Amino acid sequence: MSNEKLNGEILEAIVNLDKEKALELANRAIAEGLNLLEVVEHGFGAGIRKIGELWDEGEIFLPELMLGGNIMQEAMELLLPHLKEHSETFNRGTIVIATIEGDIHSIGKTIVGTMLSANGYNVHDLGADVPAEKIVDEAIKVNANIIGVSALLTTTMTGQKKVVDILKERNIRSKFKVILGGAPVSRKWVEECGADGYADSAVDAVKLVKEL
Amino acid sequence: MLFNEWLKDDTKTILFDGGMGSEIIKRGLKPGKLPDLLNIEEPNVISSIHQAYYEAGSDMVQSNTFGSSYLNLKNHKLEERLEEINQKALEIIDSIRPIDHLIVGDIGPSGVFKPPIGNASIDKWQSSFKKQVEILTSGVDLWHVETISDIDEMRAAIRAIKEVSYKPIISSMTYKKTKRGFFTIMGDSLEKCIDIQINEGADVVGTNCTLGSNEMIDLMSEFKNLTDKPVSIKPNAGKPRLEGTRTIYDQTVQEFARDIIKIINLGAKIVGGCCGTTPQTIQEIKKKMD
Repeated sequence: MSNEKLNGEILEAIVNLDKEKALELANRAIAEGLNLLEVVEHGFGAGIRKIGELWDEGEIFLPELMLGGNIMQEAMELLLPHLKEHSETFNRGTIVIATIEGDIHSIGKTIVGTMLSANGYNVHDLGADVPAEKIVDEAIKVNANIIGVSALLTTTMTGQKKVVDILKERNIRSKFKVILGGAPVSRKWVEECGADGYADSAVDAVKLVKEL
Repeated sequence: MLFNEWLKDDTKTILFDGGMGSEIIKRGLKPGKLPDLLNIEEPNVISSIHQAYYEAGSDMVQSNTFGSSYLNLKNHKLEERLEEINQKALEIIDSIRPIDHLIVGDIGPSGVFKPPIGNASIDKWQSSFKKQVEILTSGVDLWHVETISDIDEMRAAIRAIKEVSYKPIISSMTYKKTKRGFFTIMGDSLEKCIDIQINEGADVVGTNCTLGSNEMIDLMSEFKNLTDKPVSIKPNAGKPRLEGTRTIYDQTVQEFARDIIKIINLGAKIVGGCCGTTPQTIQEIKKKMD
């Protein structure tokens, strides 16, 4: 089977949330010695981007979005060992993501985390209600490139700025890109915090991270 | 019972309260804590907010117990204090409730989801809500289950209430507007939610949070097409933004109140506000209603 045909089938399996089919296709790609990087990018990657678009458009909902992300992750676990020689090309970067202290709104953050791992990033999701210091400590520990901080409440948004302030205090600001998320976050707020960017949706978050 | 009389009286629109969180912050308290814990730590702040709503014209005000179900308290490692927090909430609101005004037992989401997102189930939710309802039932006139995104969680909350209480239930789901109409983020349509809420025995069906007053005008029209039950509407005050350390809502109280009047004219029985609305908002609605 050609890469192109297989990629089309993979995309379809992901959008249909057909896990069995998606994993079977991943195995077939490995067995037939196809270009797996291309399968990841144009098959599974395209599928999960489509899922993200359908979510943004209100065509699918949270359970489907999470299922799609889970299928993608399982497929990646199959493919990754065979991608070892390309692993540097494939691992796009390490991201620490969390909802800030005082805020337990974790849905948006979880969606963004799922979409980022589905797109080839190594994501460390620290959960919700995480102190700014801990986010920074974890980012150092796992040698992250990017720190993502979510806040849904205007009252907890100040914690997003605190993350940037701590990085500055410790003289490690330049080691990380800091991105913000959450309904009340705006470009102006990103500037005020001295962060590197924000996104309005999970799809935009992936685009943003790729551009950084 | 007063609430049932209000429901039967076609000339009466019931005025509910507005937001709690934004008022707490306005009174100088630090963010980052479960607001329900203030029932114990700062009871005067909570009672002054309740009082401000009753004085602004609210016929009924909700207890400060939005986050005090067992599972949600557990998320905050506060489950040991469930009885204390809920009991104290009742004492606070009871101490300032004016005559002929009602106390609404407020029940919010558990913060946990069913698979594939989390590991909750109807049974787990129901037993969690029941623990809260058992404490609150001694002091409330009716119930408001609100900000629920999963119709199964709503089902569980209504069942938990019915296990211990005969008091009326307002059942409010949170919707998102899509090209195909209003849905919960879990993908349940408005029609499906209303059917289930009524079948489970809700006395009033409604919606609160996420959508602003303008979007809820359309939502109210849809409600009217789908049910003859009384409808409760509590919109947010538009989208907040932060200026320095101050939270700003760009929508004025006059704009909000104008939308609410349209919602009443479309047939809403109960109106009020959610996040970002204040006693001034309620006062403005009251003025326009009169």
